[in-house]
Amino acid sequence: MNPKIASTLNPADLLTRVNRDVERSILRARNGIRYVRGTHRPALGVTPKDVVWKRDKAELWRYKGGDRRYGPPVVIVHSLVSRSYILDLRPGNSTVEYLTRAGLDVFMLDWGVADELDADNDLERYVDWYLPRALHAARTASGHEEVTLAGYCLGGVMAALYAAGHDHANVRNLILMATPVDYSEMGAMVALLREGRLDPDELIDETGNVPADALYSGFYMLAPTVEVAQKATLLENLWNDEFVEGFQAMATWSRDHVPFPGAAFRQLVELLVRQNILMTGSMPLGSRQVDLAAVQGNVLNAMAERDNVVPPPAVEPVMQLVGDPARREELRLPGGHVTFGTGKSAFKHTMPKLTSWIIDHSDTPS
Amino acid sequence: MPANQPLWLRAVLRLERAVGEPIESAVHSDTYFDLVSTTTRVRRKLSGTAEGVSRRCLHLLNLPAGSDIRNMRQQLARMERRLNQLSHDVSELDEDGSGPDVR
Repeated sequence: MNPKIASTLNPADLLTRVNRDVERSILRARNGIRYVRGTHRPALGVTPKDVVWKRDKAELWRYKGGDRRYGPPVVIVHSLVSRSYILDLRPGNSTVEYLTRAGLDVFMLDWGVADELDADNDLERYVDWYLPRALHAARTASGHEEVTLAGYCLGGVMAALYAAGHDHANVRNLILMATPVDYSEMGAMVALLREGRLDPDELIDETGNVPADALYSGFYMLAPTVEVAQKATLLENLWNDEFVEGFQAMATWSRDHVPFPGAAFRQLVELLVRQNILMTGSMPLGSRQVDLAAVQGNVLNAMAERDNVVPPPAVEPVMQLVGDPARREELRLPGGHVTFGTGKSAFKHTMPKLTSWIIDHSDTPS
Repeated sequence: MPANQPLWLRAVLRLERAVGEPIESAVHSDTYFDLVSTTTRVRRKLSGTAEGVSRRCLHLLNLPAGSDIRNMRQQLARMERRLNQLSHDVSELDEDGSGPDVR
């Protein structure tokens, strides 16, 4: 008899499988009720931290928990369109927790939730006003003159502009995570904003900002049916508390967008999307021209190979444009846009590789 | 697709891709983008017209309209922004080197 069939007919194995299925059905029912009721939602972004600097809605957090063996500090600059807790999703599944435990001094620059007061915030306000002040606070708190500046998505654009546009930026390492520079390769995300379609002002609401719903719709339309597959996978794994918690955390984050400040949005559309100006290697900022090649220090261009929000072709030109050619490195990671924050691939590839690169380019413990 | 997935789940995932791929192509097409931009413009124009009519009616009765409140909120926000900026400037007067050091 085929050993597989024999095993299937073995009464002991059969009983074990029946027991397992009954247990899983009970757990599925329990977790299903919890999921529908919306109770037992996982706590997000809970790595202990101190607020070391605050201006308007922007806050600089310093994470606690590690023994801070390496320097300079790692300052993460988050994007303007999503919530920063994607990089600190859940205990045991958090990039900042991973970096902190590795002995790095980790800071996060969070922009908060924009409202009427932020409608006039343009890129200059972020790059030339908030960022220098936040980094000054990080340097003061850590006692290091330099920083490792890591920008995620649009945060990477702001980090690169800061590092290139300031004489004493003191950025030893610039890490650009899924940072788009070639907006002609951004596909569906920006197609509506190209010349002749929608003007930025048509998306800006009465608060002067692009509403979070409009941003969510943009992300949702990248793959409108994928939620069906996700829900089916959830149903199959509903017995597994860990899976359900991870699913809920991701589902919460992916719907939790923040309004985009109107002035910065107009600049983004006109300069970055329509003129694709970063591909020229420089960009006007305030009264000056910022040359991306002027970035001092090491540059790591990290991209996710299956990223459908910022596809690799939009990121790849960083290797020709930002910083000194001899100090540029590329890191290709399996996974999608969120591989910088969560998921199996993040734990297996992203977090160890990023951590190892940062440590290799940091001061070793004395 | 992992081999240990049950048959029903594999079927759902295949079906989702079979249906999803053509939908994705459709919603990433120029025709769809043109349709969305036209719809957005029409919707804004209609709501602008409705707002204009209701504002005139309310003003006839000497009542404030939503757009008046909105304008007032924007003015207040502008004033609050200026106050915040002044407050930051004052608090930074004693600080050293915190201003931008642009190229």
